[in-house]
Amino acid sequence: MSGFSGCPGSRTIEFKKEEAHEGTAAKVPSQLRQWPIQLHLVSPAAPYFQGADVVLAADCVPFAMANFHNDYLKGKALAIACPKLDGGQEVYIEKIRALYEESGINTLTVLIMQVPCCRGLLATAVQALQGSSRKVPIRYAVVSLQGEVLQEEWIET
Amino acid sequence: MERYLGIPIKELIDRFPDVGAILDGRGIGCVPCSVGSCLFGDIMEIHNLSLEDENALMKQVASVVAPGEDVRLPESRKSRPARPGGAALSPPMKLLVGEHTLIKRFIALVPELAERLELESEGGRQLVLDGVDFIRSYADRCHHAKEEDILFAYFDPELDILKAMHEDHRRGRGYVKGILGALERRDRDGVAANLFGYAGVLSEHIKKEDEILYPWMDRSLSVRQVGEMFSKFREADERFTDARAKYGIFVDTLEETFLERSAEVRR
Repeated sequence: MSGFSGCPGSRTIEFKKEEAHEGTAAKVPSQLRQWPIQLHLVSPAAPYFQGADVVLAADCVPFAMANFHNDYLKGKALAIACPKLDGGQEVYIEKIRALYEESGINTLTVLIMQVPCCRGLLATAVQALQGSSRKVPIRYAVVSLQGEVLQEEWIET
Repeated sequence: MERYLGIPIKELIDRFPDVGAILDGRGIGCVPCSVGSCLFGDIMEIHNLSLEDENALMKQVASVVAPGEDVRLPESRKSRPARPGGAALSPPMKLLVGEHTLIKRFIALVPELAERLELESEGGRQLVLDGVDFIRSYADRCHHAKEEDILFAYFDPELDILKAMHEDHRRGRGYVKGILGALERRDRDGVAANLFGYAGVLSEHIKKEDEILYPWMDRSLSVRQVGEMFSKFREADERFTDARAKYGIFVDTLEETFLERSAEVRR
């Protein structure tokens, strides 16, 4: 028993790592194709969203997942948000609905951390779909604190 | 052992009949397949068994086809990535599986339909024509057209598994022609035989698609392709909105009629 009884999303954990070897790793290019990326700042009218496959990632995901750029971001447009700390989240529902209806996005991939509060981001994407006149396939992946994909599924639309 | 991976499965089973029983024991139903041109190696890929199950199956097959030889799997199969939660089908694939449900409900009624054929009456002949209309409009134009024009277009047309699916569709259409020909001749046995022929082909075909083909295709498709396919299916369905409701009601009514009659007979 750790004795910790608070929010799992705020629990202090240290991951012990072996020293990284230096000088052999190739430089990995960024797959980011746009700016801005924060969900409050992006516009559904931006050209990079039109007909795109979009990744909606919780803020912590790209830090936990070492291969985020190549495995999930490559070839896709991006929006990031934190369902626990961001304010004005009612705007998020409208903005995601606009991505479905007005931007005509092809798919939405929601990437969330395994902590319970992160489920809120997936719920927001699904709620926006329920209010949308245009249906879009939603896929989600749950990422562990150490960056492993724990679960990956399509949502029933 | 590896040389056998490039052999069409029918040829392998013909040469070593025990291989058919081994595959059958693992739920791989190649023995009754009418085509059998899929290569043994491709069947391993498509069925995506766990590494442990695949190793065990290969050892069993090796003991039959090459007794005493070492069993070595191709490198790519050994290094396949784990796919957490990858078993759930994508929305467009679920839509196809959902359409199968109505077709299976119709097929389940074929024995009742065949038993109660009345080709001498206008109403009896119309019932057969309505069944053919369901097969041609719903099963073929609404469902099989989605597969042939949209889904299969994402894959190499030379794939043996796709040739086998096309062959099933072709055989199904052949039985429908047979039903209509027999109906014209007032040949009750001919209508019944072709109805059963259709039901047999489609039952096996749907099982192969639901359990093997669609999951394999889903694993092969990119997220981009899944999204495109979803949009194309919805566009195709817009042309069939009224028809979907009509054929749903047709099967509902058929079930109610036959269940009611069966209950009367029992009384």
